[in-house]
Amino acid sequence: MTWKQQLADSMPAELAAEIETFESQIALRSQGKIDEKVFAETRLRRGVYGQRYDNGRRNDGTGTRPLAYPADRMTKGPETVWDAPGMVRIKIPFGGLNPDQMDTLADLAEEYSDEVCHITTRQDVQLHFVHIDDTPDLMRRLAAVGITTREACGNTVRNVTACPLAGVCRDETFDVTPHAHACMRFLLGHPDSQDFGRKFKVAFSGCGEHACGLVSMHDLGLVAATRTVDGQLRRGFVTYVGGGLGAVPHQAKLLDEFLPEEELLPLAQAIARVFARLGEKKNRARARIKFLVAQLGLDEFKRLVLEERAKLADDPRWRAHLAAAATYGEQPLKPAAALNGGAVPAGCADWMRTNVYRQRQAGYAVATVTLPLGDLSARQMRELAAIARRYVGDTVRTTVEQNIVLRWVSEADLPDLYRDLAAAGLGESGAGTLSDVTACPGTDTCKLGIASSRGLAAELRARSSTPDGRPHDAVAGLRIKTSGCFNSCGQHHVADLGFYGVSRTVDGYTVPHFQVVLGGQWTANAGAYGLAIGAVPSKRIPEAVQRITEKFVAERQPDETFQAFTRRVGKRALKEMLTDLMQVPSHAERPEFYSDWGDPREFTLGDMGVGECAGEVVSLTEFDLAAAEAQVFEAQLELEDGRPEEADRLAYDGMLLAARGLIKTELVDISDDPDRIVAEFRARFFDTKLFFDKYAGGKFAMYLFRRHEAAPRQQTPERARQLVEEAQLFLEASHACQARLAAGETGAAAQQVPAR
Amino acid sequence: MSPSVDNLQRCGLKVFFAPGAEPDVRAFIPIFHRWIQTSAVDGLLIDVADYTHLTDGPAVLLAGHEGNYAIDRTEGRPGLYYYRKQPAAGALVDRLALIGRTLLAAAVRLESDAASEGCRFRGNEVQFVANDRLLAPPAPATVAALRPDLTAFLRTLFRDDAEDVPEPTEMRDRIRLSLRSRRGASLSELLERL
Repeated sequence: MTWKQQLADSMPAELAAEIETFESQIALRSQGKIDEKVFAETRLRRGVYGQRYDNGRRNDGTGTRPLAYPADRMTKGPETVWDAPGMVRIKIPFGGLNPDQMDTLADLAEEYSDEVCHITTRQDVQLHFVHIDDTPDLMRRLAAVGITTREACGNTVRNVTACPLAGVCRDETFDVTPHAHACMRFLLGHPDSQDFGRKFKVAFSGCGEHACGLVSMHDLGLVAATRTVDGQLRRGFVTYVGGGLGAVPHQAKLLDEFLPEEELLPLAQAIARVFARLGEKKNRARARIKFLVAQLGLDEFKRLVLEERAKLADDPRWRAHLAAAATYGEQPLKPAAALNGGAVPAGCADWMRTNVYRQRQAGYAVATVTLPLGDLSARQMRELAAIARRYVGDTVRTTVEQNIVLRWVSEADLPDLYRDLAAAGLGESGAGTLSDVTACPGTDTCKLGIASSRGLAAELRARSSTPDGRPHDAVAGLRIKTSGCFNSCGQHHVADLGFYGVSRTVDGYTVPHFQVVLGGQWTANAGAYGLAIGAVPSKRIPEAVQRITEKFVAERQPDETFQAFTRRVGKRALKEMLTDLMQVPSHAERPEFYSDWGDPREFTLGDMGVGECAGEVVSLTEFDLAAAEAQVFEAQLELEDGRPEEADRLAYDGMLLAARGLIKTELVDISDDPDRIVAEFRARFFDTKLFFDKYAGGKFAMYLFRRHEAAPRQQTPERARQLVEEAQLFLEASHACQARLAAGETGAAAQQVPAR
Repeated sequence: MSPSVDNLQRCGLKVFFAPGAEPDVRAFIPIFHRWIQTSAVDGLLIDVADYTHLTDGPAVLLAGHEGNYAIDRTEGRPGLYYYRKQPAAGALVDRLALIGRTLLAAAVRLESDAASEGCRFRGNEVQFVANDRLLAPPAPATVAALRPDLTAFLRTLFRDDAEDVPEPTEMRDRIRLSLRSRRGASLSELLERL
């Protein structure tokens, strides 16, 4: 008996056939009959992702060693060893789960993964350390409970997310759940969404004020709205397009003030067709729809979308969900009942203060299960499924803050629910507070991670959770979010205090750092992004958090928000406050600075001895890099003060300075002439691929080339902001390049760079 | 013997810390990293995962290719757990002995490691976990089918001191059975018997 046979009658035929095809593709690839790049994209579109060290090498702290897998000549993608464990991303549309699905996730985590379920910042579930040979059965078992991993990764429409309070929120316009579900079903595998240059993310929100949907940072964002037409109340959506975080964050643009609900799916289809037809395909760094919208301009993009919409042949699926959506609602498992005022278990009052939300429906509440770093053990997932069956039934959802909510809890049950959660180790309070830190996988499992975002998050959690260290009320509600690199999976741009991993070279050692990003706006659907203040050594970030929060407590004005505070104080003063923390003690003095949180290995790629001659050249380079940092920081200040032209000039100057610094490693007498700098930089670092990032290729260099070739004729704050962000990334790439040069990797990295 | 159970490959064994000899789980992170550097224990060792923030399940995981090692806190009973992921040769009883040798060798090494803060394991109980719901679904019939091999393994491990293979206490989870002896022995002795 196999899972395929056992579940033959339980799987939807379409999903069963898709998994069968994927299993055949695995077999063909194992025989070398499918190109490895084609297979890589194939498995990505099935949610089967790579994981750190899957190239068959790992630095164990003493040096890089091969991982001698049995099938070490077989690959499942470029530089991806067949036997190396990988990650499986499981799409959970709008975060909706039922107990049977939770049981299955627990089973799969135990049998194929490492016994841990991880909730992501886009309401998915991820399992790590999974062997590719196990993925077809894993998918079959998911299919049997109505879950697919299809298009969880790759250049596709990713998980459709939605506010976890949809349907029970006190402030929403209407419940967006049925629309989110219909959108997911319609776009999944749709022919018009199969030829994108990059991924496409959709989010729904029931209101414009709160954060839950994070609509402003999505490729397509929809906020519930109503309008009276001919005396009838009509449902629709305020529609946004072209938002996104990533290396260079973009706020979504308003595409339509009121899109009638019957136009939702056809418009999504039209957008997909325009994106597939006109979106960038070769340069992955410019391939998200945000770049297409910026390139065309919103008006032209809208014209093209509406033109495409007009051409579409009618599809009954556009309206198939509407009748049910009008009457959609979840059925509570238990009758509504108020708390009776009786005694509650120890810890319950604290938990109720932070983890319980009173629903619109009287007598019911939403209980948030706080998950540290988005993790819960398989056994806890199974326990939570049992608890859900006992109290709420099928009304469970994951959240973008990496927690799980139980909806429709009869209020009278809250003390018993807390007791049961606590018994399962799931009764932690503090949801949505300073201690509820969000983190992407970072260096734990992600191939792109630079620094340990989870290690830092765990440390910050521990420090803010100690009984004696309860944060002041003024800062308790602040959000901390950490990413392992600039790609923003931890959503650091929209945090009050955001951090993303970078590195610096000190005396020949590579030192983990985090860029401090302050003043992002979590509310109003991620309404504003923060700006980088400066890089602080990883081991000093907790101290930086303490200083910043203490300053806010001491100096804030009445009712002043953290965003308003950071704007008022100004980034210059905030940076000055952290300047001493930015210094790195010598390796001999404080060796712990040269390891990352939760990982005792020295943070280095090898023995990085630096000779005197090289040291001198590196010193010149470092000087220019430091000057470049100052220029970019000044650019941020100019931007903040409403002078985009000046911000643009300083950001450009910063990139030139960094490029000049690198050129000095080969040509000390480089002039200050921008044309000469760019020409030399192109010849020495771009054409040779020395500057290339292993995964991003030459995209950071393109930021400099584009700005050099065409200064904007008419400057806008948004354009200037984008250039400042790009300059920051160019700087990071320059630091990384310098580190590679110091390590003697002159060209080795370049040989491994994908052509992008 | 059910042919399904006979093919069981995904299974594991766990030994528990002795009372009062349970170090801070964070102490195992550098130890496991060192084990990777020195190939100190069996199998291809890949990476260390820090789950010390969890109160249940793996706290520190040493991920391997053939199997995973974990300082595990399932059911509030901390110990060292090793479970096999890749197939091994031989009959089930031979595979159990292989898993037992791998686990006990790692546990003995931990006990002698100065960095493990004096950790000690109990030598009178080994927990068996069947980690395959297709071949070993949680059901009385599965336990009955497993009983002969588990009994043979138990007798090899604890000899005449072995208690009978118990009836499972619950069937909602995977099959987990505690194999016990009355007096117990040091882990080194148990390792020699396998």
